[in-house]
Amino acid sequence: MWELLEGVRRIIELFGNPVVLETTFRSIYVSGTATLLSALLGIPLGVLIGFKDFTGKHFVKAIFNALLGIPTVALGLILYLVFSHSGFLGFLDLLYTPIVIMFGQAILITPIMISLVVHAVESVDPDVRDLARTLGASETEASIAVLRESTAGVALAFVSCFNRAIAELGVAIAVGGNIRGLTRVLTTTIALEVMRGEIEYSIAMAAMLLLIVFAVTLAINLIQRRRP
Amino acid sequence: MNCFVKLQGLTKRYEGVTALDNVNLEVKRSEILTVIGPNGSGKTTLLRMMAFLDKPTAGEIYFDDAEINDNNRNHMRTKCTMVFQKTALFDTTVYNNIAYGLRLRKRSKREIEERIREILGLVRLEGYEKRQTKKLSGGEQQRISLARALTLNTELLLLDEPTANLDPKNASIIEEAIARVNREYNTTIVTTTHNMFQAENITEKVALLLRGKIAEIGTASEIFGKASKNLASFARLENVFSGIARIREDGTSLIEVGDAVQIEAALKKSGKVTVLVRPEDIIVSRKAVNSSARNIFEGKIVGISDMGSTVKLNVDVGKPFVAQITKRSFSEMRLNLNSKVFLTFKASSVYIV
Amino acid sequence: MERKIWIWTTTLVLVVITSVAGTAYYIATSTGEKLVISTTTSLYDTLLLDVIEDQFEAEYPIDLYFISVGTGLAIKHAQKGDADMILVHDPSRERAFLENGHGVCRKIIAYNFFAIVGPEADPAEINGLSPPQALIEIVEAGRNGQAKWVSRGDDSGTHTKEKGLWNDAGLNRTELREEEWYIEAGAGMGTTLQIAEQFSAYTLADMGTYLKYYKDNIITLKELVTQGEELLNVYSGVAVNKSMHPNVNFDEAISFIEFLISERGQQIIEDYGKDIYGRSLFYPAVGLLKENAERATVQWIRNYAFFDGYECPPEYQNDHPELYS
Repeated sequence: MWELLEGVRRIIELFGNPVVLETTFRSIYVSGTATLLSALLGIPLGVLIGFKDFTGKHFVKAIFNALLGIPTVALGLILYLVFSHSGFLGFLDLLYTPIVIMFGQAILITPIMISLVVHAVESVDPDVRDLARTLGASETEASIAVLRESTAGVALAFVSCFNRAIAELGVAIAVGGNIRGLTRVLTTTIALEVMRGEIEYSIAMAAMLLLIVFAVTLAINLIQRRRP
Repeated sequence: MNCFVKLQGLTKRYEGVTALDNVNLEVKRSEILTVIGPNGSGKTTLLRMMAFLDKPTAGEIYFDDAEINDNNRNHMRTKCTMVFQKTALFDTTVYNNIAYGLRLRKRSKREIEERIREILGLVRLEGYEKRQTKKLSGGEQQRISLARALTLNTELLLLDEPTANLDPKNASIIEEAIARVNREYNTTIVTTTHNMFQAENITEKVALLLRGKIAEIGTASEIFGKASKNLASFARLENVFSGIARIREDGTSLIEVGDAVQIEAALKKSGKVTVLVRPEDIIVSRKAVNSSARNIFEGKIVGISDMGSTVKLNVDVGKPFVAQITKRSFSEMRLNLNSKVFLTFKASSVYIV
Repeated sequence: MERKIWIWTTTLVLVVITSVAGTAYYIATSTGEKLVISTTTSLYDTLLLDVIEDQFEAEYPIDLYFISVGTGLAIKHAQKGDADMILVHDPSRERAFLENGHGVCRKIIAYNFFAIVGPEADPAEINGLSPPQALIEIVEAGRNGQAKWVSRGDDSGTHTKEKGLWNDAGLNRTELREEEWYIEAGAGMGTTLQIAEQFSAYTLADMGTYLKYYKDNIITLKELVTQGEELLNVYSGVAVNKSMHPNVNFDEAISFIEFLISERGQQIIEDYGKDIYGRSLFYPAVGLLKENAERATVQWIRNYAFFDGYECPPEYQNDHPELYS
C-alpha cells in the first residue's frame, strides 16, 4: 500500500520533469496543428455536404464513414513510403520531422471531421432554415442561421478530432521516427519506455495524455452546457 | 382592389401527392381568416404558399396586386411572416430569438430593445429577455414564437394551429395578442385550426379545406349554420342549432331555436346566432335531476349507436340532440329505443359558432 | 450569446498562436546541419546514444537524429536514403550493405558479448557450458517440458547471432521453431527479456540491455553462458554512399564516425555504465584493433567482423583513408 502511494508520488513528481513537459507541449502542438489543418478543409467540406442534396450523397457519406476506421499503422506505413527519400514526396525532405506527423494526423482525422460536421449540420432542426426565411432572411442568411445552430456539433467534431490525433501512435511512430527532442510525442514515448521497462515514466506520460484528453473534452462540455 | 392576398388556381404537388388542388381564395386587407380542415388536408401547405416559402406547382399568388414570381419572392417574404405549428426556436436567448428578424431589417439596437420589451409585455413574458429558449415550457416557447413574429409588424401574419396543445391560459393569451395586433395595426391574419370551440370567436371568415380543395368559404355562422355534409364529415359537429338570442338581466342569453326549445347559454349575445352543444357535455338521466345546470329537456331515445366504449344516443326533445354516455352507464340505466330520458347540460357548455 | 462568441474566438486565437509559434520555433531550430542515424534497439535502449548525442552536439553544430529500430529495418531505412548512416551489430548484413553500393567507410566502434541468460534454477543445467553445448541441453530440457526458449524472432542483429549459434550447434532452427518450448517474441530485446522472465525461459541477450534490466529489477534471470568466441558482439558504423543517395549528409556522417573513434568518443563508450552497473556495457574497439595485440579478442573480432581481412575493404573507403591509418 505504501509502495503504491510512493509510486503515485513519484509519478506526480514526473509531471514537473522538463522532458515530460517538452513532450507534452510537442504533442499538443503537433496534434493541435493537425486538427486546425483538418478543420480548414473538413469544416467547409462537411458543411457543403451537409447542406446539399446531391446524387451519390449516400455514397460519399459512406466512404467517409468507412475511412473513420483507418488503422493508424497502415496509414503510417503508407505515409512512410510516400515521404521516404525514395518515395515520390521524398524530395520535400519531410520524413522524421514534426511537420510530416502533422500532415499524417491531419489525413487521419479529416474523415472524422467531415463525418461529424455533416452530422452536426444535418442534425439541425430542419425548420430552422424555414424559420429564418420566414423572418425575412435571404437564402444566404438562412444558411448562416442553420450553421449557427450547428456550432455545438462542430465544436464537438473539433475536439473529437484533436483527441484522436493526440492519442494515435501508428502515424507518429512511422513517419516521425520517435527522435528524442524532435518528433517524440506522448504516445511514442509511452511505447518506447514501456518496451524499455520504464513503467513509472510511462505511467506518468499516459496520465498526462489522459489528463489532456479529459481537460479538452471537459472544457468543451462546459462551454456548451447551456444545451438542455 | 380590396383584396390583399389572392390565390388563383393554386396547385401544389410533391412526391406524387397533390397537397393543394386548384385553390381559389381571396383575403381582404386586415381580415382574419381561419382555415379549418382535418390533418393532411393541406392547411400547412396553404400557409407556406402564402408565406412565400415554397413555390406553387401551378397557379398564381397575388400580394397587394403584385404577382409573386421567382424575382420578387425573396423580397416579398419580408412583408409576411409565419408561425409554425411545431415551435421552432434558435438555440439562444429569448432576446436573440426575437431580435433576429429585427436585426435582419437593420433596426437600431435601441429600437430593438424597446420593441422586444413591448412585445414581451404583450405575450405576458416580461423580463424574459435573457432566458434560454430551450429551457422554457411549451406554452412559453409558443408565446415567444408568436412574439418573434408579431414584433416584425408585417402586413400579413400567418399562424399554423397557434393554440393547439396549449392549456386554456396560454391559449387565451395568444388569442388576445392576435386580436390586439389586428385591431391596432390592421394586420391581415390567416390562421389554421382544428378547434372551433373558442369562447371568444375572433375570426370573421372561415374556409373549409378538404383534401387540398376549398370545400366551403363564408362567415362562421354561415358555415356552421349550414352544418353541411362536408363540415360534418370532418368536424363531426353535433347539436348545432340556429336561432334568435336575447340577453337577460343576469348576463346570460336565451336562444330560441324553434319547436319550443329554448337554450340557455352563458354568453352575452343577441340576434341571430348559431350554437352548438357537445354530446359529451350532455348528462342523460331517467328522472329529472335537480342540479345547477340551466338546461333540462325531456325527450325520447330515437337512435342508439355503439361507439365501442361509449354509446351515442339520438334523443328527440322537440329538436334532435345527440348525447354520449359510457357503455356501463347505458347498461346500468337499462336504456332502450323509445326510453324516456332527461337531457341536462350547463349554460357554459353552449358554444357559439 | 456574446460571451460564447468571446470564448470561442479566444480559444481559436490561442490555438492558432500555439501552432504558429511552434512551427516558427521548429523552423528556427532546424536550420543547423543534421544527421540521421539508423541504429538498433540493443544499442539505443541502453541510453548510451543519448549520452553520446549530448556530448557530440556540445562540440559540433550538428543535430543528431537517432532512429531506433531492428537492425534489418535500420539497414532498409538506409537503403532508401532515409538515413545518413547506420550504427548496427550485424557484420554479414553490413558487408552486404557495402557490397550493394549503399554503404561506405565502415568503422568498428565497440564490442561486447552476448550471453545466454535464464532462470536461476537453471533446469537445463547450462551454467558454464559453451554455447553450442548449452543449446543442445536446452533443446533436450525443452522437449522434456522442463525449460523454454525465447527467441527475438525479429529482424535484429541479435536474432542473426542467435541463428548463427543454432547453426554452430548443428541444430536445425527451422524445425525447432515449431516445437512447443520454442517461443518467438517478435519484439525488441527488452520485451524479449520480459517474456523470458515471465516464462522462466532461456534467451540470448546482449549485455547492455540485460544489465540495465537486471539492475532495474525488471528481470531476475541470471547470466549462465558468458564465455565463447561465438558470443562476440561487434558494433560498427557505416556511412551511406552519397553517390547512390545524393541527398544524404555524408560529411556530417564522417564527422560523427570520427567522433566515435576519437579518444574522447571511445572513452565515453568505455565509461558508460560503470558508475551504475559497476562495469562497462561496451568496450572500445578502436584502440584494441590498432595495437593489434595478440589478445584472443582481437583474433575473434578479425574472424567475425572483418571482411577479407579488412575492417573496411579499400574500395569502400571512399577517399577517407585517414580513418583507417
